Amino acid sequence: MHKSVTGSPTRCLDPYRRLLAMVVVVAACLAGQAFADTVTRDAEYWLDRLGPALNMTSYRGVFVYARGDQVSSMQIAHRYQDGVVEERLVPQDGASGEIVRKGMRVVCVLPDHGRIQLDQVIPSGPFAEAFSSQLMPVSRWYEPELAGDDRIAGYDVVKLALKAKDELRYSHQLWLEKSTGLLVKSHVRSSSGEVLEHFQFTSLEITESLSDNEFVIRTEGEEVARELAPKKTASPAPRMDGWTLDWRPDGFIPAAAPRSGKGQAVAFSDGLAAFSVFVEPARKIVMPTGASRIGATTVYMKQLEVDDVDFFVTVVGEIPPRTARKVAESVKVDDTLAFGVVGQ
Amino acid sequence: MDDRLKETLSAMMDDEADELSVRRLLSHARQDEVRSQWQRWQQVRDLMHQGNLAEDRVDVSAGVREALDGGVHKRSSPTVSGKVRRERNWHWPAVAMVTLALVVGFGAGAGWESADSNGEMANAGIPAEQSEALESETVGEPVQEVALQGLDDEQWEQVSRYLLEHAQHNSVGAGRGSVGYARLVSASGSGY
Repeated sequence: MHKSVTGSPTRCLDPYRRLLAMVVVVAACLAGQAFADTVTRDAEYWLDRLGPALNMTSYRGVFVYARGDQVSSMQIAHRYQDGVVEERLVPQDGASGEIVRKGMRVVCVLPDHGRIQLDQVIPSGPFAEAFSSQLMPVSRWYEPELAGDDRIAGYDVVKLALKAKDELRYSHQLWLEKSTGLLVKSHVRSSSGEVLEHFQFTSLEITESLSDNEFVIRTEGEEVARELAPKKTASPAPRMDGWTLDWRPDGFIPAAAPRSGKGQAVAFSDGLAAFSVFVEPARKIVMPTGASRIGATTVYMKQLEVDDVDFFVTVVGEIPPRTARKVAESVKVDDTLAFGVVGQ
Repeated sequence: MDDRLKETLSAMMDDEADELSVRRLLSHARQDEVRSQWQRWQQVRDLMHQGNLAEDRVDVSAGVREALDGGVHKRSSPTVSGKVRRERNWHWPAVAMVTLALVVGFGAGAGWESADSNGEMANAGIPAEQSEALESETVGEPVQEVALQGLDDEQWEQVSRYLLEHAQHNSVGAGRGSVGYARLVSASGSGY
């Protein structure tokens, strides 16, 4: 029981008091609710949504992509309908062209851009399965933190900072749209905080009403079409025929086995970043040794001589140059026959 | 914040403030001052009683629920309101406390949150000196740089094919969607 010191008469019967209490209590409940919402939606929640949202959200928009001193923008329409992803991308800069994808079928219409063969662009290996089925514990290699709210391309977003726990990889920042989890902006940052790669939607419309004709090829030109992984392979084991990696950064696991001529390539991913290792017999040209950087992408090349046969070893990925070099240095060719170079 | 308000606040802590005083307190212009004073005293009290904030919040929610029930009563049966009010008289300071505690708690929470996120923004990248030092210790001498502009046609073709293949792994494979495509088209552009 409460005993009053002052014995004030105002303590009893006052109609305002109840009203005040009610208002106050309602306000308190609302505040409590908002508090609960922010607590449950932690960094892990958003990380879990990232992957599915990329595929299963329907939207159209324009995004810019900058790496190094290069900026390009692209128009995109993306639809998820009856379990099939349809996508049409149209570069907005330079020569015209487009990429249309329906499910696992990809059609590239890009104008002649000199020395690059388009059929080398589209892989024939089973990639999607290998990558998408992987449940990487991203938080083992990155420290996920919610870094506040923002607004991008007219949508409310939540900012997710993924700080690399070691110096073997870059830090990432992701901006995810709040209702769908769609990635609308991202930064790849070096250890000194410099933004190496920047992706961002400048206009965006998240909508279910995307008509079929938004996914029709309109550019005239040479078309290159490929089926991506029509069959599920029993094991997505990488083909490292004839060579091995003595070392790779923690957390990066083999993810795909693209086929490019005689080359032997394997991709590795830690769930956020990826790098590819290419090992192939050297042709007549001589490649320099060292790293080139384009934004967050490092290309480290070196030549390797085994049993009087020269090999190109190239590591390409969104990893720091030192990591790329260490990976390249750890490539061991143990079976030159696997490359079919006998007699060349 | 004058002494009279502080007295009221103090009385509320002991569940002994009169209603007028509390209303005056709640309508005080500098609510942030009121909050911080309340918070300090709560902390002191918590320390002295060796209790913690979490326990307080449990009490708080119960109080809120009870008060809500009372509110419903009032609307549905105004005739008994007097009686209800009388019964709940003792409860009034508790409700006020609940409110203040929530406002304070929430305000403080929000404050910490924003402080945190500011810190995060600032530290989004790893502190430069620290990681650079680490890097040079563990990985050794700097990496030899190769300028892409310096490559001849054949060398560039080789490199660009690798870039494209890698970008393709990312876009279709890693489910990075448009980011991967962007890398792809960026790699196939004649920007170099």
